Amino acid sequence: MIAVEEISLTRGDFSFAGISLQVPKSSYTVLMGPSGAGKTLLLESIGGFLPVTGGRILVAGRDVTMLPPEKRGIGFMYQDYSLFPHLTVEENIAYGLKMKGIASRERTSTVKTLLSSFSLQTLASRHTGSLSGGEKQRVALVRALATRPTALLLDEPFAALDPEARLSCMDEVKAIQKDHGLTILQVSHDRDEAYRLADRVVVMDNGRILQTGTPAAIFSHPVHPTVAALAGFENILKGTSGSSEGGRTRLSIGTGTIIADRIVPAGDRILACIRSRDITLAGADIPLSEQVNRIDGQVISMVATDHGCQVRFAGPFPLLIDIPGDRSSWEYRPGEQVVAWVAPKDVHLIRIPKNTGDGGNAP
Amino acid sequence: MARTAAGRGSLMSSPEQPLRKKYWSSGNSLAAFWIPGMILVGIIALALLVITIPVLRNPEYLAGAASDPVVFQAFFVTFLAGFCAVGILAITGTPLAYALSRSDTPWKGVVETLVDIPLVLPHTVAGLMVYLLFMSRGLLGAPLGGIGLTFEDAFPGIVAAMVFVAIPYYVNAVREGFGRVPVQLENVARSLGASRARAFVTVTLPLTTRHIMYGALLAWGRAIGEFAAVIMIAYFPVVISTLIYYRFNTGGIAESQAIAFILILLCLVLFFVFRFLTRRAGVYDDRS
Repeated sequence: MIAVEEISLTRGDFSFAGISLQVPKSSYTVLMGPSGAGKTLLLESIGGFLPVTGGRILVAGRDVTMLPPEKRGIGFMYQDYSLFPHLTVEENIAYGLKMKGIASRERTSTVKTLLSSFSLQTLASRHTGSLSGGEKQRVALVRALATRPTALLLDEPFAALDPEARLSCMDEVKAIQKDHGLTILQVSHDRDEAYRLADRVVVMDNGRILQTGTPAAIFSHPVHPTVAALAGFENILKGTSGSSEGGRTRLSIGTGTIIADRIVPAGDRILACIRSRDITLAGADIPLSEQVNRIDGQVISMVATDHGCQVRFAGPFPLLIDIPGDRSSWEYRPGEQVVAWVAPKDVHLIRIPKNTGDGGNAP
Repeated sequence: MARTAAGRGSLMSSPEQPLRKKYWSSGNSLAAFWIPGMILVGIIALALLVITIPVLRNPEYLAGAASDPVVFQAFFVTFLAGFCAVGILAITGTPLAYALSRSDTPWKGVVETLVDIPLVLPHTVAGLMVYLLFMSRGLLGAPLGGIGLTFEDAFPGIVAAMVFVAIPYYVNAVREGFGRVPVQLENVARSLGASRARAFVTVTLPLTTRHIMYGALLAWGRAIGEFAAVIMIAYFPVVISTLIYYRFNTGGIAESQAIAFILILLCLVLFFVFRFLTRRAGVYDDRS
């Protein structure tokens, strides 16, 4: 396993201080965060490519903080795979074995086995420049696995693939990870990847770890607005909590109110997070059976999406609302008065600590 | 060049002609760039002609120069000194170029400026510096003289002057090459067990082959052409530039023209051989 203890690093005008992170043995941990969060820097400092200015990095219990990358026993894979363009597929895979001083005969047989178990025999003597994205990814993975590293660090390994190759590559990597009991730490900015691959998700931003947990826990109960945005809450509304009653709290947001299925002390600053698909839209004259959380407003614009339509709604506060159905079935027009409705259970709350202004680590 | 550009028009196949004509006349033509550019190309072409035509008209001078042992020796000394200079640059300049391309020390700018100095100095000043450093009582000349290495009017002096003026040409070209090798490739090599030095030798260096060869060619061309810096430390043994200048002053234009012609010819042949030998170097693509 990998344990990062309170490491600090400065690189140009970016720095992080006191970051701690655990990647349990044989787990698939996905490190998420918006671009510029410091994910790649963290990965590179674990890999040993960037010197840390404080803290410790342990790999399988061994302190590697001061060791050069070649002595850490960690495999590394970049988004562009960084295959050696002057070597063939076979030579790329053999590279690590050669560096580790494995005798030529054993090297050849190991590479042969790897090539056939990953169906790369036909590419063995090709240079890497003309391989497809999926092929490159597989070669890079096999190259990293060839030296049997203690752990693998993957920097957005699926981002450069086309959608079809992406899914099959993800499944393949996950299967290999399970079969071999590999310890993997992967950078990603994609929720689907995290759901598909991760045992654990770590979210970071601005050089800080914001939240750690299973994908389900992180994405349904974000504790920080950045995590909420990553979790796909399109609507993150600032407000204040009011009176609570029957397990529900009334929230003042903008000039309106919303009721959420959770008790929060009155007077707290909160963020109400609502997924655009959890909001229902109805014409102003149509009565809704539910009486709570009816929000009057106006359709501002409508944009076609994969599953229907995204409506920009202006009421006491602005909302993004997803409605199903294709263009021909749209019942609303920009400018029309409508009613939006959201179930109190679908309003997720993040409490903003009183002393800081930026969210922080509420429950 | 001028002929090729003009010839292209007559080579156009007829069915495409109206369309292509329309395309080129609709503001897509490069003529506005070619015309002023051709002044420069024309001057080079004319310069070659004013050397070549008289020499070919009076081949006895060419024959005389070609069979002159002094000329032969000057060529030998010049080319050999050029190769030695490139060799020294390869051994010392390649690591410097790599350090410059990978380092982010605040001192880098100072080193870069120092490397570029021979580029901006008048060659006589460079010659003076080389002389003062390497003369028998010089800062480096004295101790090196102690171990039997003399520079004044000696072959090592020529090499020293050539190295000095060629440093920026070699280092900058190679450094640019190193800059093009993504540091990620080295990182991956190291994660696979290579030390920094081995990653350099097995990954970075092979991927910089083209730039290293190009830098070597530039440096060699610069070195064999050096005159001012060379004669100040070593008038003898005579290098080719010194000989041309000497013959120009004593024997006349025709003699110096003939030697110059041989030099141009040899350089052209060498450049073509070099290009032919290196056409596949550093290209790793199965498709081409």
